[in-house]
Amino acid sequence: MPTAPTSHALTLHDVVVRFGTHTAIDRVSLDVAAGSFVSIVGPSGCGKSTLLNVIAGLLAASGGGVSVFGDPLTGINPRATYMFQQDALLPWKTVLGNVLFGLTLRGQTGHEAAKKAEAWIERVGLKGCGGLYPYQLSGGMRKRVAMAQCWIVQPDLVLMDEPFGALDVHTRLRMESEILGLWEGSGTTVVFVTHDLEEAIALSDEVFLLSAGPGSRLVGRYVIELARPRHLIDIKADAAFHRVYREIWNDLRQEVLKSYDQNH
Amino acid sequence: MLFWQVALAAVLLLTWERAAASGMVDPFFFSRPSDIARRIVTWMGTGVLWAHVRTTFTEAILAFTIGGSLGVVFGFALAGVPLLAALLEPYIRIANALPRVVLAPMFLLWFGLGIWSKVALGVTVVFFIVFFNTYRGVREVERVIIDNARMLGASRWQLARHVLVPSALTWIFSSLHISSGMTIVAVVVGEYLGASRGIGYLIAQAEGVFDTTGVFAGMVVLAAWVLIVGAFIGRLERRLLRWKPEYDDSRPARLA
Repeated sequence: MPTAPTSHALTLHDVVVRFGTHTAIDRVSLDVAAGSFVSIVGPSGCGKSTLLNVIAGLLAASGGGVSVFGDPLTGINPRATYMFQQDALLPWKTVLGNVLFGLTLRGQTGHEAAKKAEAWIERVGLKGCGGLYPYQLSGGMRKRVAMAQCWIVQPDLVLMDEPFGALDVHTRLRMESEILGLWEGSGTTVVFVTHDLEEAIALSDEVFLLSAGPGSRLVGRYVIELARPRHLIDIKADAAFHRVYREIWNDLRQEVLKSYDQNH
Repeated sequence: MLFWQVALAAVLLLTWERAAASGMVDPFFFSRPSDIARRIVTWMGTGVLWAHVRTTFTEAILAFTIGGSLGVVFGFALAGVPLLAALLEPYIRIANALPRVVLAPMFLLWFGLGIWSKVALGVTVVFFIVFFNTYRGVREVERVIIDNARMLGASRWQLARHVLVPSALTWIFSSLHISSGMTIVAVVVGEYLGASRGIGYLIAQAEGVFDTTGVFAGMVVLAAWVLIVGAFIGRLERRLLRWKPEYDDSRPARLA
């Protein structure tokens, strides 16, 4: 394996994931430039989340390798935090405790850390909610807490697995804008998994397309050359947006049909 | 609600008292509330009650502490080492299925007539309740919460401290009402079967001379105690588990 240039946050080289005799991911290679926002799309069941778990180090690849900023990945990815599709907050900690959690784990427990957490709570629009427990929050508010929890530790890499899938359209649009707001100028690399092509294009610098499973492979890679900063409400009316959408959709469509044929 | 609860007790006691006074029920077999109250006052007056209550209380606390600690340690050990859990599983089932009453005479032989035979009996009860709850609490933490903590940088030790222990505590606290009640039952049974002190002993003595008033008086003392302990645990629970929706003060109380 050639040594990855350090300008790559992430390099996957022939990654294979097998569960018993079932091959979920088949020889996927890709690289992600440091500081960029990329999305992985594909039909449902194509192993997008599986691939993300490999990048997170939560799942060991059966073959191939992953390197993170040039270092081969073994075990948990130390440079990344992860925003999950499901609720992953600690139910027994308050909003403040949850946002503070990453700092607590790093031994930062004093007044300074608490002030930082308060600032983040305000930044994600939950001012005054620090003392509440997760069960007292709406789904959208819980996502905001998760967002602050992920970003407060200033990770080099944020992994997101359809984090807004369960939200209503309007809340979702707001959360997407806020994610872009957090990311712009942060220098953080984001890998975003979604089945929603519009969302992927609107947010990303680059979109990777996985084929229908089993044995998903990388079948497309598209650079999204839309100007930044982007306004998500306007961008979908943009002609360039539609061009690239049609281009990717042509390819994605075939994969969706394939996965449809397999399941029906 | 408290008013109606007290009112219900008053109605029941009054009915009982009248039935006994009118001869509908024989006070020799069923005693009567006024006699029971007088007996308790007499016991309190002579100070004999306190010695017995203190003994039973000490035994229960010791059993609860020892059994609870062992339960937590074993719960964590078995949840953390699946091989150990697989190895010991049938033995734990067998041990838990043993009727504790048959152990009582053995404990009397091994630990004597003093408090330790009762503590041992209590331990066999508390241990299993706390053990099973700790084990479940550790095993049933949602995978995604563990993954999230690991991604945020939690070491094995931090994972235990911030995720596994709080989750296990939830289960343990939820079972506190049951385990505290069962501890008292166990030590009283132990006293009943052979002791020179304690509420169980008091009841056994009264039974030996067909003194139903004494038996009921002993039961009333136990009941009062269970209510006090229950109220205390209820408060503790609401404090420690306030992050759970079902302990929200604005919601109705639950039976447990």
